[in-house]
Amino acid sequence: MDSGVLVSELTLLILRIGFLIALWVFVFFVVYAVRSDLFGQRVRKMPAAAKPAVAPDASAFLTSAQPRVSAPANTEIAPADGTPLKLVITSGALQGQELPLQGDVLTIGRSPDSSLVIQDDYTSTHHARLEVRGGSWLLRDLDSTNGTTLSGSRVTTPTPIPLNTPIGVGSMTFEVRR
Amino acid sequence: MSVSASPDFVATGSIGRLKRVRVSQRMRNVELILILIASAINVAALVLVQWGVLGKIDAGPLAVCGLLAVLVLSIHVAMRFVAPQADALILPIATVLNGLGIAEIYRIDLALGNEGWDSLANKQIAWTALALGAALGTIVLIRHQRILQRYTYVAGLFAVILIALPMVPGLGISVNGARVWIQIAGLTFQPGEIAKIALAVFFAGYLVQRRESLSMVGRTFLGMRFPRGRDLGPILVVWVLSMAVIVFQRDLGTGLLFFGLFLVMLYVATGRGSWVALGLGLVAFGAVVANQTLDYVHGRFANWYDAFNDANFSADGGSYQLVQGLFGLAHGGVIGTGLGEGMPEITPVAQSDYIIASLGEELGLAGIFAILCLYLLLVGRGLRIGFAGHDDFSKLLAVGLSFTIALQCFIVIGGVMRVIPLTGLTTPFLAAGGSSLVANWIIAALLLRLSDSIRSEPRLVVG
Repeated sequence: MDSGVLVSELTLLILRIGFLIALWVFVFFVVYAVRSDLFGQRVRKMPAAAKPAVAPDASAFLTSAQPRVSAPANTEIAPADGTPLKLVITSGALQGQELPLQGDVLTIGRSPDSSLVIQDDYTSTHHARLEVRGGSWLLRDLDSTNGTTLSGSRVTTPTPIPLNTPIGVGSMTFEVRR
Repeated sequence: MSVSASPDFVATGSIGRLKRVRVSQRMRNVELILILIASAINVAALVLVQWGVLGKIDAGPLAVCGLLAVLVLSIHVAMRFVAPQADALILPIATVLNGLGIAEIYRIDLALGNEGWDSLANKQIAWTALALGAALGTIVLIRHQRILQRYTYVAGLFAVILIALPMVPGLGISVNGARVWIQIAGLTFQPGEIAKIALAVFFAGYLVQRRESLSMVGRTFLGMRFPRGRDLGPILVVWVLSMAVIVFQRDLGTGLLFFGLFLVMLYVATGRGSWVALGLGLVAFGAVVANQTLDYVHGRFANWYDAFNDANFSADGGSYQLVQGLFGLAHGGVIGTGLGEGMPEITPVAQSDYIIASLGEELGLAGIFAILCLYLLLVGRGLRIGFAGHDDFSKLLAVGLSFTIALQCFIVIGGVMRVIPLTGLTTPFLAAGGSSLVANWIIAALLLRLSDSIRSEPRLVVG
């Protein structure tokens, strides 16, 4: 092919390298856009003013009025048979908030696609997961840095979740209730 | 990750009320920028091809590719309304791969002197438009993946019918010995490509139902818990189906793809390594039997094992193509000969099966690595979507769909580079072939839909 009619060999060489560079720039743009997947979600300090900002409304008052060490004798495992269950936050900034426990999986972590997004220093990007196995809900720690606790003891293997028992993730605790 | 952009739902006061505050368009803005870069790369590739081969610029093909960019942008705009939280990277990556494919096919057409409807590039552009339309339709019509779960068994039946279609006399045609195409009114189509999507839907729905019994029981042997005999049914059925494709349709790649898809989804659903061990055992057994009984399989093995032997090289259906592809890759070197300046047209079917060797010759090692990185990122996004999934069906479907892309890349690129014996599969998004393009764009659309619905589930943001 007579390729030197309008474009010289040198120009083509430069363009050819330029094209490869453009291709790689695109690849690096994409990698930059997924950096949170590779290096974890950016840690954001909890603003110190956040806690008093949450006004203790009626429901939060009711929650905090309940005895702190609830669920002593009730060790019924959370069933996954369609009984409406909910996850209630029992300490931390959003005390008293609830999240319906539905589907098969509920993910907890700093990653924005978790079901329960906790943005504090002590939570890992993918921290823990509640999942349905064999007709009941299990708590599984996803190898998080600071661990997950179930009524104070660290969870190492997937553990059935008893109702009304505190589960600790980072600086926050919550319970599974009917 | 700015502070104000992340919470889509904020807990507001009273019990259990999750209020949708606003839909963040951050993902879509990232996507828009990447699509613009992708389109610029595609146009640059065509310009370089024209300068390299013709020495001048022909505005016609550039205008057509501009139209394709407009189609991609229209999908992007539609997603701002119907899937605002969808993954931002899948569409741009698929666009770049598709555009590079068109440029290289066009380049080989120019070298071979194909014009009009003989030109594979023109066909590829028409199919791309159709595939983009199919992707748009998928995103707009399928508003949630649970619609697919409802049709689990319909999808399974649909897949079997599609796989069997090329065997219908008068409808199916043989190309190079493989009977996997159908011909309707002069148009050829490979129904197996669509079947892999239907199979992924079926396997996902089926495994969600049967996962417990497939993972919980069985006896332990060599540190692995093996399933009971009666639970072996499904894996044997899929194995027989894949072997039937290999024996009767004479298509090694498609058979491997179906079985690999099932094996990976089974592993992800049950978490039992013993299934993988069993499956690989079945593959090895099938490979040994096929190598000894099927001539064409034996030929593939011989061409791979002893490619540079003159007996294989000059034989009919021998390793000529494979070796030419390797020579092409070697000719390219590190930075390639430049688009339009190599000789990829020497290799038989350089536009479809050997597109990666053609691109490797003209873009070199640096270009091939960039392309492989794009595949890696695409598959990585798919697996990531599955990982974030809130229910088992979404998880399995996302893993299955993205794994088909990964496995297909490995089988065909591995074959071209002589890592494994060569089998005829299409390189996703790159290779000339309409059915493959349509199927892969539908897969991309399904992954986008899955990522959007996973991110839009009700959730609580603390902090």
